[in-house]
Amino acid sequence: MKSKRLLLVAGGILLAVVVAVLPLLGACAPGEKTLKIGITTPTTGPAAEKGSPMGHANLDCVEYINAELGGVGGYPVEVVWLDNAYDAAKGVTAVKKLMDEGCLMFGTASSKIMSAVMETANRAEFPGIACFTSPVLYHPPQHIYGQLPDYGDDALAFANFYMENIWKGPGKPKFALHLLNNPTGSGARDAFRAKGEELGIEIIATEEHAPTTISEMSSLTRIKALNPDVLFISSTPAPTAVIIKNAYALGMYPGITIGCAHASFTKALIDIAGADIVEGVYGTFPTVMWGENVPAMAKMTEYCQRLHPKDYGNMDYITSWAQTLVMAEILKLALENVGYDVLAKGDVESWRAIETQGFQKLKGFDVGGLHGAVTYTPGDNRLTTYNRIYQIVNGEITNPSDWVEAPFIKYEDYDWFGQ
Amino acid sequence: MSLPTGTRDFTYAEDMAIIRTKTQWALFTGFLIFLFTTPLYLGNYWLGVANLIGITIIAATGLNILVGYCGQLSIGHAGFIAVGAYTAAILTNRLELPFLVGLICAGLTAGAIGLIFGIPSVRVKGFYLAITTIAAQFIIIWVINHWQVTGGFVGIKVPYASIGGFVFRTEASQFYLIMTIVVLCIFFAKNLARTKVGRAFIAIRDNDLAAQVMGINLFRYKLLAFFIGCFLAGIAGSLLAHWIGFLNAEQFSLTESILYIGMIIIGGLGTTLGPILGVTFLRLLQQVLTMEVVPFLESTVALPAGFASGVTPMLFGLVIILFLILEPRGLAHRWTLFKSSYRLWPFSY
Repeated sequence: MKSKRLLLVAGGILLAVVVAVLPLLGACAPGEKTLKIGITTPTTGPAAEKGSPMGHANLDCVEYINAELGGVGGYPVEVVWLDNAYDAAKGVTAVKKLMDEGCLMFGTASSKIMSAVMETANRAEFPGIACFTSPVLYHPPQHIYGQLPDYGDDALAFANFYMENIWKGPGKPKFALHLLNNPTGSGARDAFRAKGEELGIEIIATEEHAPTTISEMSSLTRIKALNPDVLFISSTPAPTAVIIKNAYALGMYPGITIGCAHASFTKALIDIAGADIVEGVYGTFPTVMWGENVPAMAKMTEYCQRLHPKDYGNMDYITSWAQTLVMAEILKLALENVGYDVLAKGDVESWRAIETQGFQKLKGFDVGGLHGAVTYTPGDNRLTTYNRIYQIVNGEITNPSDWVEAPFIKYEDYDWFGQ
Repeated sequence: MSLPTGTRDFTYAEDMAIIRTKTQWALFTGFLIFLFTTPLYLGNYWLGVANLIGITIIAATGLNILVGYCGQLSIGHAGFIAVGAYTAAILTNRLELPFLVGLICAGLTAGAIGLIFGIPSVRVKGFYLAITTIAAQFIIIWVINHWQVTGGFVGIKVPYASIGGFVFRTEASQFYLIMTIVVLCIFFAKNLARTKVGRAFIAIRDNDLAAQVMGINLFRYKLLAFFIGCFLAGIAGSLLAHWIGFLNAEQFSLTESILYIGMIIIGGLGTTLGPILGVTFLRLLQQVLTMEVVPFLESTVALPAGFASGVTPMLFGLVIILFLILEPRGLAHRWTLFKSSYRLWPFSY
């Protein structure tokens, strides 16, 4: 009896302390004038291999901006960073939290999370930018922007490159598509559907695979029977590795050209499949490689090696570092155009200012050479439209092509889009 | 509900009442007042979490009727939620039908699909039934991805819920809508367990052969359990669709289905309170780990690379293991023990 009474008293005191201290915590918050942005990455969950270095890059870049550039327009950038565990519902609550916290815009890494949260953001007019995107995010364009070319653009960039540099035969080359059963795959499928004829290629097979696939022997056997010239894979590293290994085992490769979309074309693909098997495989990627001689490389390398050395060499890190630079530029433009007081509100008025005076004023912004120039074109929410084609040689991703521009496709004008 | 000493029933109505004493009425009324005034003191983020919890409670209540009361293991619940979500999306977006029509049809469609996948339950049970429900999960998701009407891989937009011209735009208004339906669903589930149907479910769960000998039609009642369980999943799916505003099939993974099983185990199988406690506990745990613990560890503590990304699944697994070892009857049982203990306090035995 005595212990229960003690328990009750202790519980009561604890509750009273919590109630008394909570407002004080709020009162202790720093009163410094900052520009607040939100970032949500899949740092845990099934996409942590990509989300974790991307989150690191976002935070490292904010540290760089504040420490060495004096913030944006003299105001430090404050980042609210949340994990979304690659889960749609958590992504939605994360974006609501970013809005509650008064963030001026938000950035995400993946198209899956952005597609889950985009309606929440669009309804509130809360602008967002995603590194990796599928066409559904901005067709029709609303308040979501793509930092880089989307999965459809990947496919077209590779097809263009192939037609100009590799294809020597008569007639149309025969393309077989192996697509992940989600927007990463459907983006490529839709792009070929819209532009395949115009590019002069023939799609002879479209196969799907799951992200957890462990064998694609049967689908590749069907493809092999059709004698393709090209196998284009739009997927993530592990399934892509399975497909290429199976193609190798079936004797299809070498012998045909294999092209990969950027979601899979990282060091992880070589590590999983084995360097000898993926030798000669082509892939698209929208950024430069580590060690290239571009202005932003030195600082990015310095911060990465000091703060997260294990991420060095990971191309996804470059993507998110560049994303943060783009977000800083948007803040700078909006600050110049509407002033701090409008942005300080952190409400729908600030979000509109960020979008119309920040995002939509981007013109030829150079991200230190890390990827193509960043420009907003009315009606096209892709902020960068340039890809490069790389090749795996001696276990390294190398031989970058020139920047290849991806054409704008107005998907919403096609009856089949979203069907 | 057990009663304090000296409380007696004088009418059949009193005997059948769920809430029996003035104290219970006061507590219940106080809880409802607290629940429906929550938007006054919570921000959009926590209201969003509360809405997600409410939607999950409806789905978990359905699963609890199926698994907890009737003993029919289903590992395809997220698939049935997807059926409801897409039905609501198609009816309200493509056909522009009212929200309430979409809501009811979502429940009925999910229930009907549940009936189809419930048919094997007459012949198989346990792990074998689990496999057939996993098949349901994969078949449903495949159909969603490849059927033109659903938007395929691209997904489909869902408008705000609206009733009689009132549009539920804000998080607070959605909270009232969702919580009202949650209360109705829990009231339904509580009463169902006290009816002939509920008792038949329990008899089937405890020993289906004995239940059949007693005259319970196994085919009918097992299918009824599938229908009711999936109906509630469909209702939850409809609310989820209108809350998120955009659907694609990736939101309804097998992992989600397994999570639902975890929720009702932690809450307490075969009790009305179980899904409420299990869902609240696990959803809050998820939010705290994902939104607070991982960012804190990543930004402040020098941990080995990749450690923070493993914290959530590790803690999550640990909690489920601890519950299975220390409290296999779930949080609802712990709550019952707590109430029993304090009912007699300070004059314990």
